Amino acid sequence: MQTEVISSKKNNVPTTFRNGVDRRTFLKVVAQAAAAVGLTGSMAAKMVAAVEKGARPSVIWLHFQECTGCTESLLRTSHPGLAEVLFDLISLDYHETLMAAAGHQAEEALEAAIKKNAGKFILVVEGAVPTKENGIYMQIANKTGVDMLKHVAASAGAIIAIGSCASWGGVPSASPNPTGATGINELLPDKVVVTLPGCPANPYIFLGTALQYVALSKLPELDELGRPKFAYGRTIHEHCPRRAHFDAGRFAEEFGDEGHRLGYCLYKLGCKGPMTHASCSVLHFCEVVDAWPIGLGHPCFGCTEKNVAFTMPMLKPAEIVRPTPPATYAPVTAPQGYIAPVATGLGGLLLGGFLAGGWVAGKKIGEKEAAAPNSGPTGTSGKE
Amino acid sequence: MTVTWDRCIRLKEPLKTKPFLVFAALAVVGLLLGAYRELLGLGYVTGLNDGYSWGLFKNWNVTALTALGSGGYAVAVFAWIFNVKRFHPIMRTAVLTSLLGYGTGMLALGFDVGRPWNFVWLADPRTWNHYSVLWEVAVCMTSYFLLALDVENMPPFLEKMYRSGDPTKKERAMKIFNFMQKTFPFGIALAFVLPSMHQSSLGQLMYLAGPRVHPLWQTPLLGLLYLLMAYILGFTCVLLTLALSAYAWNLGWDSETMERLAQIMAWTITVWLVVRYADLAYRGALGYILRFDRFSIFFLVEELLIIVPTVLLFSKANRKAPGKLFRLTFLVCIGGLMYRFTPTTLAFSPLGDYRYFPSTFEILMSIGFTALAVAVFLYAVKTFAILPAAKGQIAAEEAMRPFDTL
Amino acid sequence: MDVNRREILKVLMGGSAVAAATMTSAPLASAGDSKEFELEPDAVGLMYDATKCIGCRACMPACQNANGLKPDVGGSGGLYMQPDTLNAHTKNLIKLYTAADGHERSFMKQQCMHCVDPACVSGCPMKALHKEPHGVVGWDPVLCIGCRYCQVACPFNIPKFEWDTINPKIVKCELCRHIVGKTVSQPACTQVCPTHAVVYGKRSDLLAEAHRRIKENPGFYFEDRVYGETEAGGTQCLVLSHVDYSNLGLPKLGNESPAAKSRQVSEFVYRGFLTPLVVYGGIVAIVRNRWKEHLKHAGTEGGEVHGEEKRA
Repeated sequence: MQTEVISSKKNNVPTTFRNGVDRRTFLKVVAQAAAAVGLTGSMAAKMVAAVEKGARPSVIWLHFQECTGCTESLLRTSHPGLAEVLFDLISLDYHETLMAAAGHQAEEALEAAIKKNAGKFILVVEGAVPTKENGIYMQIANKTGVDMLKHVAASAGAIIAIGSCASWGGVPSASPNPTGATGINELLPDKVVVTLPGCPANPYIFLGTALQYVALSKLPELDELGRPKFAYGRTIHEHCPRRAHFDAGRFAEEFGDEGHRLGYCLYKLGCKGPMTHASCSVLHFCEVVDAWPIGLGHPCFGCTEKNVAFTMPMLKPAEIVRPTPPATYAPVTAPQGYIAPVATGLGGLLLGGFLAGGWVAGKKIGEKEAAAPNSGPTGTSGKE
Repeated sequence: MTVTWDRCIRLKEPLKTKPFLVFAALAVVGLLLGAYRELLGLGYVTGLNDGYSWGLFKNWNVTALTALGSGGYAVAVFAWIFNVKRFHPIMRTAVLTSLLGYGTGMLALGFDVGRPWNFVWLADPRTWNHYSVLWEVAVCMTSYFLLALDVENMPPFLEKMYRSGDPTKKERAMKIFNFMQKTFPFGIALAFVLPSMHQSSLGQLMYLAGPRVHPLWQTPLLGLLYLLMAYILGFTCVLLTLALSAYAWNLGWDSETMERLAQIMAWTITVWLVVRYADLAYRGALGYILRFDRFSIFFLVEELLIIVPTVLLFSKANRKAPGKLFRLTFLVCIGGLMYRFTPTTLAFSPLGDYRYFPSTFEILMSIGFTALAVAVFLYAVKTFAILPAAKGQIAAEEAMRPFDTL
Repeated sequence: MDVNRREILKVLMGGSAVAAATMTSAPLASAGDSKEFELEPDAVGLMYDATKCIGCRACMPACQNANGLKPDVGGSGGLYMQPDTLNAHTKNLIKLYTAADGHERSFMKQQCMHCVDPACVSGCPMKALHKEPHGVVGWDPVLCIGCRYCQVACPFNIPKFEWDTINPKIVKCELCRHIVGKTVSQPACTQVCPTHAVVYGKRSDLLAEAHRRIKENPGFYFEDRVYGETEAGGTQCLVLSHVDYSNLGLPKLGNESPAAKSRQVSEFVYRGFLTPLVVYGGIVAIVRNRWKEHLKHAGTEGGEVHGEEKRA
């Protein structure tokens, strides 16, 4: 996508107009973008410099088995808004939802973009790739998803899987997974794939990752699943505004009950926050405060986690992976030890039996030895 | 009229009697539970916890029952040092009870320790902490068992070897016996010194617990008191064993010997009581006796069980009557066992709020080990010439010269 | 009758001679107590000032993580790390003391006190519990036989045992000795404490700091003293509190270490190994005579067996 650039020089400082936006506004946009994803002011300057050099990186966005929710959530950002992103910061060279082209021209544009930016473009993948029966369950332009992915990924500079579907299979991979839906990282084992799970992924995580790559040509630090640590390093539980309620043992027991209305912890309603690495608790959605599941009163269902989302029953309590102390304290002296009643009974019986036995034995011995006082050394053998 | 035991005899009785089968069954149950403990861990088989971490196995099977098993030691002291010749025919019985008391005690200990595979380090002096009283117990008890007790119990076994008729066996038996005869004073001195050390150490163990053992029991003299009580309980064990054996198998009643035993025991108890009360008075602990809290009650029960029978045993009439002698000794035995057991458990209050009672499995295991001792005793007296008897008293195989000199 | 009275007197005289020989030979042990039981000059420890602790319990998960322990979830059904006592999964515990009438409260951090002359080290038969460099009390799994004497001996009831496994360990704070000096410079608990309520350092420095705090706030700290300065012979982990130390579960202890007392008694009786050797020699001497006599008797014909009295 090309935009019209009008350049002029004022006092030898380059002034750039893009679509009628002056430089100051442009800088504001970049600053917002940087701030929104946690990049420092110096990063913003770097981004500006990179963009002014004309180096708007190429982005190729592929869709596979997806609902397009990730793109939709990206559309609901405003700092920067998608327009600013598309026009000012990146060059979106292929996006099936947003592009105007169709048919052969679209495919040609794709191939051209790949060739022109080989080794440099950012490949963003939305949606899982079906693998069963050689991947025939999803074909675009007569190419299966597997082939298309492998072809495009071969020359990508950075690969980002946005959303749970592309990251590990998502909804299409739910049991019995009839199409063999898989995350793209499994199909690209020797490539670094940044995975941004979420259903949808939070758009600001994508923006932060992509824009950091734009500014620094470097991807953020990733965990062992390829997830950026700045967004997926903590579980929801470790970052939840309702955590104090959890620690104090204040739970909503049923939807609509008193506790639920008071905003208590939703653990007992099956919240998978303790098992889910994500940043929803701090980065809400649609830029509305508390617009995220728990904020709206619904337990987290673990949409970012492969072993949780679409697998664990919604109401089944989560496992607390790293338990921490509650709001109550241990007393200075807590009672310990257990006395089993059966054992006590047995012990008493045995002791009583032993004492009685000894007493009776004494009696018997007394009787026997007293009854036979004349047992002498010359007596006959045997019993007295 | 009573008999005079002057020889040792082997009982010609069938082994598989009802009592033997009962004890053997209990022993098997105990050992099976022991195997269960090895597979799962102590927490599943006992009621032990971090406050009361020593339970029945250590405090009963080792501390209390090896005191009963000090009969060989106590009787030998009087037989050999104080030259009470009457005690020679009962020596074999006495050392057998010792062997069994210690053997099953050490077996229980083997099941009780949490990491028994590290016992091998006991053989490496570099790992020894010679300041530790428990180290002393471990090394000394093991040495006693390996160097003294089994040697003391050899003669009946050598005798049986000799009786077998096989010339090589006879020769070997005589060789070993001659060596034992030559080194006897050195061996028996070991059998005096070693138990003196560890029987007193068993008491000294609880000294390290300081204020957590109630003042009615806690004293620096714990070692001395435990040692004296080892003598006392050794006497009770021998006395009661002989009485029950005489009753069960018609050995006759050697009144002189039994009275002597009881008399010596009564005097030893007197010494023990003097030391005990002098110590309590010196430490200002007498006031605790009549507080009637649970410690005071334990103390009173223990003391009454010891003092009253002892006073009665000073009367010759009581010592002469077998029934009375048995019952009074039995009461002393209970009291003495209580004394050995109490500082470790009943009078021990760990820091914190802990409750402990042995679990059912723990009780069954403890009983199993004790039953094992009884079952082996029953086996031994019918296999070897151990029990004392008078000439012609019962038809039985007699001990052989020269083996019966030891 | 036996010649018992004479025999008894003979033996008792011999016995007193032995006692005289051994028990007057050396002064009581405490004067000669080995240097190994003294405070090391660079001994380290903790100082916990309960008046600064806010009960955040960051030190508890930090300790769990640093030591690779599975959290004790207590009765919470897996929800919380909720131990109510030190145990096989918990080396460090924050407890809360509230007076019955509610007028005073204090937190208490419980962990091994790293005594200067520990009872557990004294009691351990195999040196499994031993003093490491800087006086840290460490446990060695290679030597431990699991006898649990340390649990009986410790005045603070610190060592805990893993009851539910066939490879049980003794579990207690070891001041993170597996990582301090290697990857970190201080234990996990002091690293995360947000108010520096618990600090790590040389014991001498910590004690000086404690005294300074007491001096600058007279009457504020309980009895104007540090717990652990002299208790049980001194501990390397010190506690400052404004409430009575007994209310925090710290027992009232004298200034002598239980280990030293135990050594005193042992040394009084054993004198190195002198007493047993002398007694052994004495008994050999006595028994020899008896034995000769006994064999002479037994050498007679079979009918006259031992047991027959010389006098009626």
